[in-house]
Amino acid sequence: MQFGIFTVGDVTPDPTTGRQPTEHERIKAIVAIAEKAEEVGLDVFALGEHHNEPFVPSSPTTLLGHVAARTQRLLLSTSTTLITTNDPVKIAEDYAMLQHLADGRVDLMMGRGNTGPVYPWFGKDIRAGIPLAIENYALLHRLWREHTVDWKGKFRTPLQSFTSTPRPLDGIPPFVWHGSIRSPEIAEQAAFYGDGFFANHIFWPKEHTQRMVALYRRRYAHYGHGSEDQAIVGLGGQVFMRKNSQDAVKEFRPYFDNAPVYGHGPSLEDFTRETPLTVGSPQQVIDRTLGFRDYAGDYQRQLFLLDHAGLPLKTVLEQLDLLGEEVVPVLRKEFAALKPVHVPDAPTHASLLEAARAETKEKVQA
Amino acid sequence: MKQRTLVVVSAGLSQPSSTRLLADRLSAAAVTAAAGLGVQLSVQVIELRDLAHDLMNHLLTGFPPAPLKRALDTVESADAMIAVTPIFNASYSGLFKSFFDVLGQDALTDKPVLIAATGGSARHSLALDHAVRPMFAYLRAVPVPTAVYAASEDWGGDESEGQLRGRISRAAGELAREIDRREPVTVQDPFALTTSFEDLLAGG
Repeated sequence: MQFGIFTVGDVTPDPTTGRQPTEHERIKAIVAIAEKAEEVGLDVFALGEHHNEPFVPSSPTTLLGHVAARTQRLLLSTSTTLITTNDPVKIAEDYAMLQHLADGRVDLMMGRGNTGPVYPWFGKDIRAGIPLAIENYALLHRLWREHTVDWKGKFRTPLQSFTSTPRPLDGIPPFVWHGSIRSPEIAEQAAFYGDGFFANHIFWPKEHTQRMVALYRRRYAHYGHGSEDQAIVGLGGQVFMRKNSQDAVKEFRPYFDNAPVYGHGPSLEDFTRETPLTVGSPQQVIDRTLGFRDYAGDYQRQLFLLDHAGLPLKTVLEQLDLLGEEVVPVLRKEFAALKPVHVPDAPTHASLLEAARAETKEKVQA
Repeated sequence: MKQRTLVVVSAGLSQPSSTRLLADRLSAAAVTAAAGLGVQLSVQVIELRDLAHDLMNHLLTGFPPAPLKRALDTVESADAMIAVTPIFNASYSGLFKSFFDVLGQDALTDKPVLIAATGGSARHSLALDHAVRPMFAYLRAVPVPTAVYAASEDWGGDESEGQLRGRISRAAGELAREIDRREPVTVQDPFALTTSFEDLLAGG
């Protein structure tokens, strides 16, 4: 099982001091957080993509390329890549380039983006969010798998004899996850292609995750990619930890109370009960996270949100220490012990390459 | 007897409230009128006051806490609704509006609704037809022709009480007839897949 962190890259004032980091500080902090993730033994760092304030990651492959150069082992991913407003041709090119530079340590998570005004800035319309996601991904899927593509669709100019360069590393397209909170069409899309499905699982009750994952698993089996429990599932999660759970609650409360999204709304206690948010000791985070399996089944990737709502970099790095030292080693062991052998790990460049070579060998022998 | 469900949504703020009092009178009248047509109504009452914090939390977080979720599901699955609000500043109260603002888009489609309101004076009675009725029309509900307004004086003297009773019984009769001529409501699962991927790919 893969463990990692995902960030939306918000620039938010620290509510306890009123201090707001500059964009430069925040961007450098994101890099420091990614490096720390590798240092403490996490597997995945995923970066959001936004084109509106107060978010800084408008250019994910630039930042991830930089992180790739500063890390050796960390798998770089996105949370999410906007499959609606980006040109699929540019996604194909940018992420293939990143894949080469990172020696295959790259996968992507597709998302639609839920901010209406952003769409027209890129010549699109949020009301066509689902059709855009379907058509754009269908093209992206072909661009990485077919050398020369002729294509015509609704949302971009047609392509004739187009080759996306560079070609994917070793001819293996990056693995793709599809993220959605409550659109069954996206679970269906992930299932159709045999791609991964990722449930945000931070701002919403667990029932959303449960229903969407169940649908994805059912349809994954329907399309013949394997049994339901072999489908590739990723979950988000949101935690704040201190050795002593009361200290965690006390320290996190002002960040919670003033956070974008849920601030000035429900109490920390309400929100902890109603969503997967866990504020407490490392052991509480371990117990809660193991419980995700009860409604999502054996899953392949767990990403935590740690750096938001104005938490200072120093605190985030301390959280990463706790995650890497006390939480993830236990979760790795416990999840591995529970997982049946026929449930696969999340595909990586290495595993996909190995599978492709084995397939070629089989064909040659046949 | 046919079995149908009736949900009563009351936005009264005090306890007890005249809004709830009117809601109870209306639901009792509706049960009687429906029984006269061979329809047995089971009634569930939702007091929005109990859900006030949950409503605001839903507006801020985008999802309903469990008690509010149950209330929203109850409304969606009901065969008919009685909705009663106090009139504030010539319109429904903010609490009343908030509840319908977070209700699913199609939750009231073709649902018979009896609209009613309370207020300090009869001068506000047209707020029902100028504010409450258009909102339910927008939501594609079917508000019955008679809307029931009860001012302070309606709870008083014999003559006015007689008029209120008459309006209640006329509105309840209209609601019962709308219930009687409809099939029971079926609720759509928001997580159900309603299209095939082939159709999605084809731009369907």
